[in-house]
Formats: sequence, C-alpha cells, structure tokens
Amino acid sequence: MRREAWAVILILLIAGGAAYTHATTTTEEFSRCNVGWNGTSNLAAEEVRSLRDLPPGATLLILAPEGSFSLEEAAYLRAFLDSGGRVLIADEEGSANGLLADLGSGMRVRPGNLASLERDHADPGLFTGYVVGNATIFAGTETVFLNRPAAVEGGEPLIETSILTWDDGDGDGRIGGNETFGTAVVCASEGNLIVLGDPSLFVNAMLAENPGFIESLGPVLIDAAHSGTGTTNPIVNAIRWVRETPPAAAAVAALAILPVAYRFGRKKDA
Amino acid sequence: MNRRATHIILAAAAVLVLALLAGEAVDPVLYTAENISTAAHADPATIEKRSPGDAASVVPRMDGLLGDTGSITLTIKLKDFESAELDLARYRELSGQFDNLVVNLDVTGTDIGEFRRNNALNQEALAALLDDSRRLEDLKRLEIEVRDGEQRMAIAYEGEALRQKMREIFTAYADREAATIRIAEHYDLNATPYQESIRHFAEIVGTVDEWRQSSGGSSTVKSPLTIAVVPDRGRYGDVLTIGGAYTGGAPGTPVEIYVDSRNAATVALGDDRTYRHLYRIGRILAGSHLAYVVAGPVYSEVAAFEVLPDNTTITLAVAGVNRTTVACSGSLTAEGRPVTGAPVVLRVDGETLATAETDQNGTYGRDLVLAPGEHTVRAEFHGAGFPLNPSTSRTETVTIEGEWFSPLPLAAALAAAAGTGWYLRRRWTEEAPAEPLPEEEVPIEPAAEDPPEVESAQDLPPREAATVLFRTLRARLGLPETKTPRDCALLFPAHAGFFERYEAIRYAGETPTEEELRAMEAEARGGDEDAA
Repeated sequence: MRREAWAVILILLIAGGAAYTHATTTTEEFSRCNVGWNGTSNLAAEEVRSLRDLPPGATLLILAPEGSFSLEEAAYLRAFLDSGGRVLIADEEGSANGLLADLGSGMRVRPGNLASLERDHADPGLFTGYVVGNATIFAGTETVFLNRPAAVEGGEPLIETSILTWDDGDGDGRIGGNETFGTAVVCASEGNLIVLGDPSLFVNAMLAENPGFIESLGPVLIDAAHSGTGTTNPIVNAIRWVRETPPAAAAVAALAILPVAYRFGRKKDA
Repeated sequence: MNRRATHIILAAAAVLVLALLAGEAVDPVLYTAENISTAAHADPATIEKRSPGDAASVVPRMDGLLGDTGSITLTIKLKDFESAELDLARYRELSGQFDNLVVNLDVTGTDIGEFRRNNALNQEALAALLDDSRRLEDLKRLEIEVRDGEQRMAIAYEGEALRQKMREIFTAYADREAATIRIAEHYDLNATPYQESIRHFAEIVGTVDEWRQSSGGSSTVKSPLTIAVVPDRGRYGDVLTIGGAYTGGAPGTPVEIYVDSRNAATVALGDDRTYRHLYRIGRILAGSHLAYVVAGPVYSEVAAFEVLPDNTTITLAVAGVNRTTVACSGSLTAEGRPVTGAPVVLRVDGETLATAETDQNGTYGRDLVLAPGEHTVRAEFHGAGFPLNPSTSRTETVTIEGEWFSPLPLAAALAAAAGTGWYLRRRWTEEAPAEPLPEEEVPIEPAAEDPPEVESAQDLPPREAATVLFRTLRARLGLPETKTPRDCALLFPAHAGFFERYEAIRYAGETPTEEELRAMEAEARGGDEDAA
C-alpha cells in the first residue's frame, strides 16, 4: 500500500509539473514566456512595462515592437537617451519607424526579404553579416549570424551584409529577374540610438549563434509593453501578480503549508 | 491473464516493433521537426547546414581575373612570350574555376554572369594576341632574312592579314571596357590592371601598324587570295558562305580556312580558281569573329562577321524509373532550332548538380538516383561557349518513395522473435510452478495392473539409465512429460526421494551407483508397491 501511495504521489507530481509548465508558457513569437526556439525566455533581461523613469545609463531593448508609441513615451525615451541611456530597437517589420520619426531620428527600417549567397545554411535568409562600425555592443565581434533580417536606412552603419546579398522579392531563394546583388546595412546607429533590422538575434534558438554579441550587450531592460515579448496568458498574469504582490504570495505559501501542518499536527495528537 | 498469454502478447509486440523498425531501417529520418520557420525567422538548428558554394571567393576571383589581364598583355608587349604563356595558362585555370563557381552559385543571370561571359571573350582575345604577336615576330625576322620577291610578297600578305586581325580583336576587346568597368565598380574591384591591359593591347597593335607602314604599308599590298563572308552576320544554326578567288592559283590547290585563328576547313581551289565553304554557326561565342584563308604561302585579307545571340528554351520532364531513380529528359532549342552537343545542368534541390549533353536532336536525358523524400529538379543551360543566352526550365517536384525495406532486418526481426518465443516457452515449461492441489486431495496413483510401456535401462550409461527410469516412473504415475523432477516430487511426495536423487543426477552432474540404479529401477517399475 505504501509503495502504491508513493507511486501515486510521483505521478501526481509529474502531472502537476507538466500542467504548470504548459499553463505558464506560450508559443507566441518573441514572448518571454515562450521557452521554444522562437521565444525569448533565455534572454537575460529585466522587463519594463513603463518607459517612464528608466534608469540613466541603462540599455533598453525594444524587441519586435507592435502598435504605436505615444508622444509622451517618445519623450521619455528621448530623455532617457539624453541622460546617457542606450536604446536598441530591433525591428524588421518597420513598426518602429513611427517611433524613430518621433525621436527625431533619420534611421528607418525597410522591410524586405534579404537573402545572401554567403551562408552556411540551406535557407538563403540565414547568412553572415559583418561588423563595420564601432559600437560597444559589437566590441570584439567581427561577424554576426543573421536570421531573415531587414535593411536599415540612415545612420552610421554598424553591420553590413556581403555584396552577394539581394532582396528576394519573389521569394524563390535565387537571384533573378530584376533582383540585383548589393550590400545592405542591417544595423545602424545615431548616437546612443541603435536600430537593428533583425529581432531574431534575441530568440532562444539564436542566442548561442552570436555569443560575443549577446555578451557585449550586457544586462538590458526589455520593453514588455509594446512588443510580443510581453505576450502572456491569464495564468501567467495571475502567477506574475502573485509574485509581485507580497500579501498574495504569503497567502499562496500559507495555502501550501496548511495541509502539511494539519497532517503532521494530527499525527502528533494521535 | 495467464503467463502464457502475457508472453504471447509480449512476443507479438516485440515482432511488431521490430518489423516497424525494419521498415524504417532504410529511411533513418524518424523525426521531422515542425514549426521551424516563421516569416520573421527560422530555427537554425533545424535548417540543413549546406552552403551553396564558396561565395566569399567570388569577388576576389573576379579581382584576380582582371589583374591577370594586365600582366598577360604586359609580358606580351615586352615580348616575354614564355612568361605570357605561363600567365595565360594560369588565367585559363582561374577562369575555369570561376566558371564552375558561377554555375554552382546559380548566378549566371546576374552581372557576375555577364562578367563571366566577357571574361571568356577576353581569354580568347588574349590567347589570340599571344599567338599573333609570336607570328608577328617570326614575320619580322623572315622579312629581314628573305630576299626573294615572291616570298617577300607572301610575308606582306600574311603581315597585312595579321594586322587586320589584331586590330579587329583589339576593337572587340576594348568594346567590353564599359561593361567591365561598370561591374568592377559595383563589386569594388580594382579595374586598373584591366584598363592597363587595353592600353598594352593598343600599343601592341600600334607596333604592327608601324611595322606594316615601315615595310610598304597596307595600301600597297593586295593579296591575290580574296575572301568574303556572306552574309556577314548570323545566328546559331545559320549557314554562312566563306568564299573567294585566288588569282594565279592552280586548280586543286588546297585552301585552308581559318575562323578565329582555328582551322575550320580545307577546300580545294576550283577550276575557276574560286573556293567556297559553308560555315554553320555552332559553338562559337556571340560577337565579332574573323576569317581568313591560306593557300600555300599566300594569306588572304581578313574578313569579319558577326554572330548574334539567340534566346534559348529548355524543357524538363521527370518520370519515375523505380522507387529510387527518376529519368530527367527534355530538349534545348534556340528559336525553334535544336541545340546540339550542349551541356545541360540538372540542379537538384537548388544545390546538387548533374550534367547531361544534348544529342543531334537537341534532346538530353539523364537518370538521377535520389534519396527518399521530396525533391525539386531544374534543368539549366548556361551558354557554355555557344552564341546563346542562358535558360532555365520549369522546376519540377518529384517524390522518391525509397526502396522497399531490406529483407535482412525483417529476417533478423523474425529470427529474434522466434528465438524469444522458443526461450520463453522453454522457461515457462521448466519453471512453471506446480498448481497447488487441495489439501484434502490425495494423488491417486494409477493401478499397478495397468502399467505403461517402459523403456529398457539396461546396457545404458548410469546417467542415461537414470533418465530412462525417471521417465518410466513419471509415466507410471500418469504425469505429463512437461513435469520436471521437482514438479514430480511435489505432486508425489511418496516418491520424493527418487525424484530428488534424479534431479541431482540430471542437473548437478552426479553419477548414480549400481545399487542406486537398482533401487530406482525397482521404484520406477513399481517393485516396492508390488512387494508391499
């Protein structure tokens, strides 16, 4: 009987663990709760949900932004930049272009389908970019492994593709028709504002591909209010609320301890 | 569920699993990742690591080829023909490597492909320049040595032909400058050596002009051997007539016809002292070409003709031959004319290349052995020295099922299953516990008056005799043959001594004595009971 009880407890623990893992993760692109290849759960970053009062000198990563930034938020970011903070906008859809305009930047993300012959993978969108500019985040890094990036216009180029790169407009993976070879800039900067045309560099599957870059980036704050990184579900929200609310955390701890205390208390009485 | 049924189910499950594994043995892809790619990115861990080729070397190779043109023309200008020969050989080798790279990278339709085509023309021009420069030096030397008037005229004819030819080649070489410089600027190549090569080329041709003027001038020399190419332009498959007359030539005199310094044909001078050759445009690059004829020591002037490029159409049909092989076939035509003897590249999955060649009808065929799975196949024609533009067929998709699974794993699986079954059955037979009898149930020994037939133990070795006696007693007690000595001892405690002794003989390897055998025989045959 005792053995059976242990077996039941073990099965319940495993099932509980599986259920917890399932309920607290998502499959949303770039989500911090996505432990899959296209999530950002393994990226060492602290989430921020308000752009107000960002610590001066920090690095803020705005990853795959969605929606629009208010003028007030743009003003916060401008103040953050002026205070010595660094903003890294990683976007390939062009969603950040409005924010860039509000920040007074001339840089823009030009969505496209860049492909290159200088690659080691069958997918023409996975290729090597070359660091051409001086930026702390690329210190000691000569090449960056890119994953279907977009081109960035304006600013001082930081990463360029090889000359054997083209915008594969027809998506057939080979150059033809009106497509021509040419170098593309996929990362540029204006002062402390950096625009990277490849947010995929921060997904779990890509972290190990560019260890030097990720290490040079250092600790970052990540904007969870305007991008898929903040995508969650009700259970995750509830768990997060419990974690961030001490009385709630205490209540949950008490709920967990009470049955055990009751059980042991009964034994002692007996 | 009894153990026998359990074992049967287990064995059946094992056979099923092994059969499934045997089926997959020829196709080791047991797992296919899903959700590995979105519009934003792809999971690099699941994308096949496969480079399209050494793309990083394309631009350096282009740079090297431009650089070589400068060194070749310089050494020719300096009359260092041996060094020029070596430089030209190296240039040819690098050009060949570059050509392969361009095909492998599938960039023939780009400006890199244009660079490749121009480079092929430059290569021919530089080779001709080297040959002509050597011949020019020979002529200069002969001109000094020869005093005979007729021979001097022959030298003059050849010199004039050479001069015209070199000038035509130079014109075509210089005409490519604009396109080459445009491409060089795009790829940030150093075009200075190439521009120097044009200057060197011009200087070399200039020296020929000077020599001709110093030795009489072209206007004073009129070769008795004339040449004309009619029409003076054509496309792939067209027939041009190269003909002329040889004033003073004897009928039947062989006339050698050269196109781009290569002997195209030899015809005999007719009775009317004319000659004629039908030249079909085949594997020759598009652009300007030169023709001249030689009859003995007499050279004609040089006639130029132009070959115009044509578009091509290549088709591809893919048909399955068997489970692993597909037959690729198709045709290559230029404006409806079949292109013969042309190399066709078959590109599988955008990478793997196989080649075939068109026959006299412009058709080609090639069987491809492919791995199981879905593949794309495309046929390509890259020009390859023809006055034809590259073309690509429609991409065909083919699914390869793979071979039937090998009978070897299946046979092994069946053998393993049979062995397992045999082993389990043996274990079950030997180790099956005796079914407990009710306590009140007493085994009833069979009647002594109906003894079963027994084997004779006489004249047998002691251990075998004991086995015979065990079987005899077991049969007499009515026990099935599947019962072991231990089972028998449990079922018939009255004979436990017999069975335990036999167990020691059977399994511990002990040898019974004569007295023991006699006692066992008496017990086996029921002597004790009879006596009782």
